[in-house]
Amino acid sequence: MDVQYNSTLETLERLRAESIVAGGERKIEAQHRKGKLTARERIDLLLDDGTFEEFDMLKTGRGGALGVRQIYPGDGVITGHGSIDGREVFVFSQDFTVVGGSLGEAHSQKICKTMDLAVRVGAPIIGLNDSGGARIQEGVDALAAYGEIFHRNVRASGVVPQISCVMGPCAGGAVYSPSITDFVFMVQESSYMFVTGPSVVKTVTHQEITSEELGGAGVHAKKSGVAHFTAPNDILCLREIRRLISYLPSNNRQRSPILDLRDPANRIDPALDYLVPENPNQTYDMSVLIFSILDGAEFMEVQSDFARNVICGFGRLGGQTVGLVANQPAVLAGALDTDASFKAGRFVRFCDAFNIPLIALVDVPGFMPGPDQEHGGIIRHGAKLLYAFTEATVPRMSVIVRKAYGGAYLVMNSKHIHCDVNYAWPTAEIAVMGSKGAAEVIHRKEIQAAQDPEAVLNEKMADYRRTFLNPFLAAKRGYIDDVIFPRDTRHRLIRTLQVLEGKVAKGPERKHGNIPL
Amino acid sequence: MFEKILIANRGEIAVRIMRTCKRMGIGTVAVYSDADSRGLHRQMADEAVHIGGAPAGESYLNVENIISASLSTGCGAVHPGYGFLSENSHFARAVKAAGLVFIGPPAEAISLMGDKIASKELAVKAGVPVIPGHVEALTDVEEALSLAGSIGYPVLLKPAAGGGGKGMRIVREPDEMETALAASRQETRKAFGDKRIFMERYIEGTRHVEIQIIADAFGNVVYLGERECSIQRRYQKIIEESPSPAVGPELRERMGKAACKLARKAGYVNAGTVEFVLEATGRFYFIEMNTRLQVEHPVTEMITGQDLVELQLRIAAGEKLPFDQAGVVFNGCAIEARICAEDATKGFIPSTGMITRYAEPRGKSIRVDSGVDTGSKIGVYYDSMLAKVISHGPNREAARIGLVEALNGYHIEGVATNIDFANSVICHPAFAQGDLDTSFIEHHFDNHRPLSPPDERNLKLSSLAAVLIYHVRTMAVRESIKPMASRIGAGKTTTETHRYFVRSEEDEYEVLLEKGSMGRLWTIHVNEDKMVVETPDFEFFRRRLKLKVDGRIHRFRLRVERSFFWIAFCGPARLFEVYSPKEWALLKYMPRRDESPPSNELQCPMPGLVVDVPVRKGDRIFRGQNLVVLESMKMESGVASPVDGVVADVLVTIGQAVEAGEILIRFLTQGDK
Repeated sequence: MDVQYNSTLETLERLRAESIVAGGERKIEAQHRKGKLTARERIDLLLDDGTFEEFDMLKTGRGGALGVRQIYPGDGVITGHGSIDGREVFVFSQDFTVVGGSLGEAHSQKICKTMDLAVRVGAPIIGLNDSGGARIQEGVDALAAYGEIFHRNVRASGVVPQISCVMGPCAGGAVYSPSITDFVFMVQESSYMFVTGPSVVKTVTHQEITSEELGGAGVHAKKSGVAHFTAPNDILCLREIRRLISYLPSNNRQRSPILDLRDPANRIDPALDYLVPENPNQTYDMSVLIFSILDGAEFMEVQSDFARNVICGFGRLGGQTVGLVANQPAVLAGALDTDASFKAGRFVRFCDAFNIPLIALVDVPGFMPGPDQEHGGIIRHGAKLLYAFTEATVPRMSVIVRKAYGGAYLVMNSKHIHCDVNYAWPTAEIAVMGSKGAAEVIHRKEIQAAQDPEAVLNEKMADYRRTFLNPFLAAKRGYIDDVIFPRDTRHRLIRTLQVLEGKVAKGPERKHGNIPL
Repeated sequence: MFEKILIANRGEIAVRIMRTCKRMGIGTVAVYSDADSRGLHRQMADEAVHIGGAPAGESYLNVENIISASLSTGCGAVHPGYGFLSENSHFARAVKAAGLVFIGPPAEAISLMGDKIASKELAVKAGVPVIPGHVEALTDVEEALSLAGSIGYPVLLKPAAGGGGKGMRIVREPDEMETALAASRQETRKAFGDKRIFMERYIEGTRHVEIQIIADAFGNVVYLGERECSIQRRYQKIIEESPSPAVGPELRERMGKAACKLARKAGYVNAGTVEFVLEATGRFYFIEMNTRLQVEHPVTEMITGQDLVELQLRIAAGEKLPFDQAGVVFNGCAIEARICAEDATKGFIPSTGMITRYAEPRGKSIRVDSGVDTGSKIGVYYDSMLAKVISHGPNREAARIGLVEALNGYHIEGVATNIDFANSVICHPAFAQGDLDTSFIEHHFDNHRPLSPPDERNLKLSSLAAVLIYHVRTMAVRESIKPMASRIGAGKTTTETHRYFVRSEEDEYEVLLEKGSMGRLWTIHVNEDKMVVETPDFEFFRRRLKLKVDGRIHRFRLRVERSFFWIAFCGPARLFEVYSPKEWALLKYMPRRDESPPSNELQCPMPGLVVDVPVRKGDRIFRGQNLVVLESMKMESGVASPVDGVVADVLVTIGQAVEAGEILIRFLTQGDK
């Protein structure tokens, strides 16, 4: 055998070994002590056994512009592709054990290469972030490196699903890559995201705040809405990514996979006939309806702790992935506020981009009133949801469960903004407003003049309820395609999905619309 | 016989009475409150009359409305069921005065037996043994203390009126007397509008055994054997059975005769129950007589083949008892479990909501008396009992196993129930041996969990179920991806053996799946145990799973909780975490976090009404001390402090309605500055 050749093999083996050990045993131990897995372990759990194909294992940087020029095998990120349940995905996993996973030119080039290929072949991109930020030693090269990633994130947006998973620090400009992607996962108590960290906050505002309080998974899941999903640890987080992926197509030219959970399409649920309380002021839990109609009661809720007055998430009907947007009467009476409008709007646009049919479950008393909301821009934010639903060309269905009042009714995927099929339960109340407000406006003078104003008001309210607060007026006009028995909801929706499968809808030629961002 | 009767009750007992009426061709009229307008009993009845608001006082205790409903619908008689007005002599009289028949004993017998002091005196006269105690109402603490001294501690303070354990207090030391008496009086006054309390010796380690009697108006009194109801939690019966493992034919006859003697002495007509405590020595003492149909009457029906409601109706219609004592035949054994809407995992607090999924167990020797169905709403106004499951078998063990399996398959979603708790009781080795007494739960359980470790084999079966579901679902997902996966190189062989690891609390299992050639047969190793498992079609929407393991059918209830499975089987209902080998290898690095809620606040465990807040800001409080008293479903229950500390803030006031999860009180604990 050729000696030269033999030694080349040895060289390759050595280089690979160096790249695999990366930051070294001590750093790996430190990572484990923090309850975190290493970049390689994460990829190993995310992908099907033995399917990971690594790119650029041997790539290194130029060593920076400062002092000792240090180069690192792999440059702090592992990239490549592999399969999840048999489907190819592209993945990059930042390696905190190598210069804190900091991002430099080579590191970025590796990520960009996988993104480029992912878009070319139409496969999802999953980024596992665990990085101290820009590699300061590389100066403006590091900033340019971020810019290249942002650019690709935007180019890939709506072409292939992009999922970010924050499993460690993610600070400064670095946060903008995940925030452009479709979904952000965060691991509880071991990840954080912020634009400026606690020390800067302290200098500027004199506020003492921990990383966890400033940008931990809890804060982003509940308050800011930055995180779409959180998980208690790395293992479960990676499992959740696999679960999310199972709902999605690989790109915008595909339909989502059909998963048969052996749930009969014609299954009726008598409990739904009793879901809406007789008393209109009583609340109920919309998730009962969601779990009832979906295949196997499986629902992957997006931003479950943020703007809980609207529920968004993925489920399946007859195996077909659907995007559900539902008002939650149990929280803030289901009224739409700025956060809820933003949350639902972004979700609708994701579904539209990836051919996922949309279903709205409507019980909305209106937009949230008050100076906080008005001054917070409920007009702008509400317009986002209106725009998103109106623009969507995927199959669109609505079920009006109870209240559908005023402008909020129009916004919630109504027939008037060209929802394909709109059903109403017999308990639906489709009107300009609720009975009290309406009676007071229409009969103000009569009520004021009456001896017993309250009695007159009650009488007028009852009149109004009888006339307007039902689905039948809308059904007469054809704004409702049918008034359905609640127990049949699942079956009716699946039948409708079947018929809408062939929907073709194209908007006018334009560069892009101007959604009121 | 009556053409039509009104049933002055709700829930399972109203439905159960209607069932007999339908069989006998008797018309039924239901009454319902605002809260029950969609109730099952209303739907089952031929006619239904609305009788008032949701609180029982406005509806099911509203004598006037019930009688006018009976008259307006042309009923000949009124069946009171149990609870509500069933032991109210005023109601019985009012029914009679309205020209209707009260299906139950004469009003005089109700009032006589309803007064615990009077009934005890009557028992003494009838020669029935009674518990040593004082037959007069207590006047004050001094008297109570001196009486307790002569009777001997521990003593039981017992209200003269009412039942169900309300107002009862055990006093073990003289120090406890004052507070116990005050509490007992207050509760009694609130519940029954009567503050007479009497005292008797509290006998420990005894069994609760009761005799079912039935008497006609012609002086015939017959006993239908006994029921053992020793398994109680806070004086509420949970499991009842007949015959009692402690009662043989000779003792049965002695107790039965004593019960009949008492009934005769009281001039009793219709069905009734004489309750005794039974000592290990075989000595028994009279406690009280229930002048109505009992909740647990089905166990007697199952072993005697009699329909007690039918007998009640016939006797009320003036017929003679169709059999005499010699005609009573006992066949096998029956055990009943009461299913209540209470969250055993949260200290048995009542749970409310809508039943979103409901499937009853079925079987030749299984009977379910239920008052609910899919869509039923469980509110705070009435008793939390939803249904009863009764299993019959040729012997006690067969009946017990039948009941275990029935409970495994009893599927209720939407409200928390005690199904799994009831199952852990009957799966307890001491229960299986028939080794019962009234402190069984106290001795063998810490809250809802048995003190002894759960059966290892059952945990293995649950692990296996979790793994199968996980595996089959994973395969289904792979199948769904196939159309979008590359077909290049797809011809590679796949292994037919799959390894998983399961963690449930501190228990860990390695599970090896091997799919057989038949498609539905699997060879599965759980640790060292090899099992052959036959699987059904996996229907993921059912959330129930039936597996045939080594030839025996087992039923599991399960649901997916994020990445894991919650599985209920033979008592234990826990989370099973399924991991792949590579996940398992890395699991050691994952921190296990304490998921318990923050300890510096007291969260409201259930919706209800605040009836008392016995602490104020600044008070030093201790773990386990009741800080807020809530009323829900007729029951007052204390919300105990999770910590030792100081009250920093009280956020609720008396009379306020509170929701589950609401913060009631904030504390300062050691950790706080």
